[in-house]
Amino acid sequence: MAAGPSWPTADPDQLRPFEELTTMLPRISAASQTGFIRSVDAGPETGLIAAVDKEPSLARSTGKIAIASLISRITGFLWKIMLVWVVGIGVVNDSFNVANTLPNIVYELLLGGVLASIVVPLLVRAQDDPDGGEAYTQRLLTVALTLLGGATVVAVLAAPLFTSLYVDSSTNQANPELTTAFAYLLLPQILFYGVFALLMAVLNAKQIFGPPAWAPVVNNLVVMATILVFAVVPGEISLDPVRMGDIKLLVLGVGVTLGIVAQAAMLVPPLLRTGFRPKWNWGIDHRMREFGGLAMWIVAYVAVSQVGYVVTTRVLTAGDAGGMTAYYNAWLLFQLPYGVIGVSLLTAIMPRMSRAAADGNTKKLISDLSYASRISTVALLPIAAVMTVVGSSIGVALFSLGKGGAGSGAERLGEALGIGAFGLLPYALVMLQLRVFYAMKDARTPTLIMLVMTAVKVPLLYLCPVLLDSHQIVLGAMLVNSLTFLVGAVLGQVWLWVRLGNLRSKRVLGVILFTLFASAIGALAAVGVGWLIPDSLPPALGAWLKLIVQSIVGFGVTIAMLAVLKVDELKPITTRLNALRNKLLK
Amino acid sequence: MNRRTEQAEAAPVTSIRTRGGSLAPGGVVGDGRYRLLAQLGVDQRSGAHLWRARDGQLRRDVALTLLVGDAADPEAARAARRTLERAAHAAQFNHPSVARVLDVLSLGSGISAGEGLLGIVVSEWSKGTDLIDVIADGPVTPAAACRMLEPLVDAVEQAHNHGLVLGIDHPQRIRVSQDGVLRLAFPGPLPNATLRDDVKALGGLLYLLLTGRWPLPGGPGVMQPAPQGPNGRIVPPRSISPWVPQELSALASHTLADGGEGGIRTSAAFLRVLRQAAEAAEREELIQSGQLPPDANQDPDGAIWTTQRPTNDPSQRKKVALGVTLLVVATVAILAWVGLSLISFFETDEGATGPEVNVAEGAKQPGKKKPASTTNDAVTPAQIQVYNPEGTGDSVDRAPKAIDGDPSTLWKTDVYKQQLPALKSGVGLSASFDKPIDLAKVTVHGATEGTKVEVRVADSPNPFLDDARVVVKETELTGDKVELTLPKPTKAQHVIVWITQLGGTEGEFATSIGELKFYPAAQP
Repeated sequence: MAAGPSWPTADPDQLRPFEELTTMLPRISAASQTGFIRSVDAGPETGLIAAVDKEPSLARSTGKIAIASLISRITGFLWKIMLVWVVGIGVVNDSFNVANTLPNIVYELLLGGVLASIVVPLLVRAQDDPDGGEAYTQRLLTVALTLLGGATVVAVLAAPLFTSLYVDSSTNQANPELTTAFAYLLLPQILFYGVFALLMAVLNAKQIFGPPAWAPVVNNLVVMATILVFAVVPGEISLDPVRMGDIKLLVLGVGVTLGIVAQAAMLVPPLLRTGFRPKWNWGIDHRMREFGGLAMWIVAYVAVSQVGYVVTTRVLTAGDAGGMTAYYNAWLLFQLPYGVIGVSLLTAIMPRMSRAAADGNTKKLISDLSYASRISTVALLPIAAVMTVVGSSIGVALFSLGKGGAGSGAERLGEALGIGAFGLLPYALVMLQLRVFYAMKDARTPTLIMLVMTAVKVPLLYLCPVLLDSHQIVLGAMLVNSLTFLVGAVLGQVWLWVRLGNLRSKRVLGVILFTLFASAIGALAAVGVGWLIPDSLPPALGAWLKLIVQSIVGFGVTIAMLAVLKVDELKPITTRLNALRNKLLK
Repeated sequence: MNRRTEQAEAAPVTSIRTRGGSLAPGGVVGDGRYRLLAQLGVDQRSGAHLWRARDGQLRRDVALTLLVGDAADPEAARAARRTLERAAHAAQFNHPSVARVLDVLSLGSGISAGEGLLGIVVSEWSKGTDLIDVIADGPVTPAAACRMLEPLVDAVEQAHNHGLVLGIDHPQRIRVSQDGVLRLAFPGPLPNATLRDDVKALGGLLYLLLTGRWPLPGGPGVMQPAPQGPNGRIVPPRSISPWVPQELSALASHTLADGGEGGIRTSAAFLRVLRQAAEAAEREELIQSGQLPPDANQDPDGAIWTTQRPTNDPSQRKKVALGVTLLVVATVAILAWVGLSLISFFETDEGATGPEVNVAEGAKQPGKKKPASTTNDAVTPAQIQVYNPEGTGDSVDRAPKAIDGDPSTLWKTDVYKQQLPALKSGVGLSASFDKPIDLAKVTVHGATEGTKVEVRVADSPNPFLDDARVVVKETELTGDKVELTLPKPTKAQHVIVWITQLGGTEGEFATSIGELKFYPAAQP
């Protein structure tokens, strides 16, 4: 999963299980071009021992990529926290967040899915061309950049339209003018997202993985510097009327866009070093047509998930000011354990599952799927349980510095996290199941599952403002989001059963129940310890103290319970985590 | 069981010279490691005696294929060596329907010269029943035959892909495992056996299952051989057991026949046809469960055959999945409603307007003040409107939310970029009563932290600000419920709660109010 264009997406609902295709399709082509498969962390169990033996440097570099993606996730989250410290949880941050997701959405709809499903696999295949794929790459860059450039211009011109689609200002809680102002500054990112993704694909096809993995870190550093400058420059972002000339507005908007520019520019020197010469070469490669159907379903997947996202932002912006920021950051926090722990546990299994699916080896596929589900359960359920308990402490601890401390925004953010935490395991399972579908070349079922999930999500989101006060809407939205994943996980399992027959779900369910029991005991212990910490402490200090003590007690008790219950799946997790720790210390 | 004893008696009668007479239950072979338990058959074509034995060292049962012969006969020794080699190759092959070869003993390595043996193939013991015993009770139903045979066909197919000959061409080498499928229990192919022999044997086994007769040469003596037609060919199973479906009957005949049109020569082809026939047979069985051979229904071991799971085809699964989908969606919708209600319930009590510390203070205040002023129950105003003498806006429509009896529904001002009185001096709610009341106290529930209000009384719902008389001075609202007590009760028909400072933070000033309650003074 370290391979493929997996830059940190700014869009919280943007799940890209179809990246599976970028790791899958090259396998069918020439055996010599298995770069994408090998790029995925080849642990000792992957069966790719032969490949690893031949090229030990590759195995080592995949380890480095894992670290790079870890660091980029963490720095990416850090700048979002910094932004809250500096700007607060309010209408400015809301406007920025909505505007900053727009370029990502446009890019995903236009090119993201197509790139993952068609372009990258063909790119890998084109390396066998007599010219080493140079002409194909030139054509690809020419067509894609023209398309993206045009789309960027149109999107910037249409910024007010985007704002009116994503922001519901009927309740006077949002500031659409400010969102539009940010959008003008941020929408040019579309082009650079595209450049980055394309260059990354080209480099990956040429077996170069390092620079693409580290580039997002550069982006995050640039954004951090931007936030520092933002904090230092004098003035205010005036809200009524919004003035494009405001120095703070300009600093934030231009700086964040520059981050993406830097991220894309980072990849140009390594590309030139491979001997590739950019050249204007217009035309469509005939090979691209083969994959049309697949791409259609993937674009539909992106589009459907966008409907859910549009409704989410509309409901949140119509609710209390700051709701969007709280939701967005709660969602990022929610994803973090999956991103860090879940992914590192699954890197060894994913390629194995992909191969089993490609070979039509149902038995092996099912046993790997069951195993992956079980270790995800044991790894993520305890985290979800502890998160439920310490949610509001996390919010206060991380976000209440600076302007984030004003009002109860940080606490509400944390509460949203706590309420949504139960969705962590379903989320991980959905991602796993959808990847299995894509590995089986079934792009249709994931889209249909997404359709059902969205159909559940939209009415429930609209129910939130009816049942809840405006300041609680973010809590409701997070709850609905997690419930949607619950739907997705059950659907995924059921429809996989239709495809594959008996999935040994009983065993998975058994592990879930055992872990749930252990986690519940752990969570209760954590709640108990929480009472011992006096409320008279200053809020931030109290929150940190609670966070640390409750986490230690919660996890400790849970792991002890799991050990007592003799849950077998605990062992691979402890060993993997040790390995990860060693890797990081090295 | 009587068949087995017959067999054991029959063995010495055969022409194979056994020396030393060590092959009897209780005897030991393989340098004393294996104690013979029972003879299950003999494959006379290669002099292979099939025994169940006990491995004294590992204390487990094993299946022994003892190659009996004269070591002085070079031809016999060569044939035995060849069989052992083949068995040794098969040791690498793993399939649930083939007993794993554990060891191969040959003369000089594991067998002493005096034992009268040329070699031993040691394989894991297959639990279950002898195929012969199963057949002795009569032929099985076509569908059951297919189910029993299919895994073994798969084994042959895979072995052939590896270039291995399994050597299944003798019914006594096969046993029926506990889950009711055929299993090669005694590996050790004949020296000259070919892939074709395996496929032919599959046809033979199918024939045997359907008719109870063995169609290939060299079968055990206890078993009736299959009758031959006038042309010298084996009669099709259908002519012995008329209930056998045409497809299966033809499959067995075509596999057994050498040469000619439509012969089946590979296990893959056999498997394909078998699966089609199995499907048809299964359907047939379901439809006409009354017309099966009577023997099959009375089969005392019939329970074995029912371990097959009920048919579970994708289209049926799809229906179940659709049902589950609807169920899950409905369940989650209910869960969401309950969850949202819970959030609403818990959060309003705690007052999301500020840190909990203030809630506690707010709760204490009314307790202290209560005895000081005696009041009646609250009077609900007849009407309430936004009082906005210097401007417009401020959620005019939502004003009634402040007197609807539900503190969780809010009236809210607009969001102001700057604190009052920058844009206007204030904003308020004007409550009108049907007739003047003797106002003693106003309580404000769920107001935004930091808000300051005055209480004014007036003669009309929308007076000039200066005409409205201040009865409670500017007070900051902290906590979930704040009581604004008038210094002395005042007669009033129109009461204005006038906000002079908004709550909220820099750039986003706003105040929301959950509920206003107006208490008249107690009647003396």
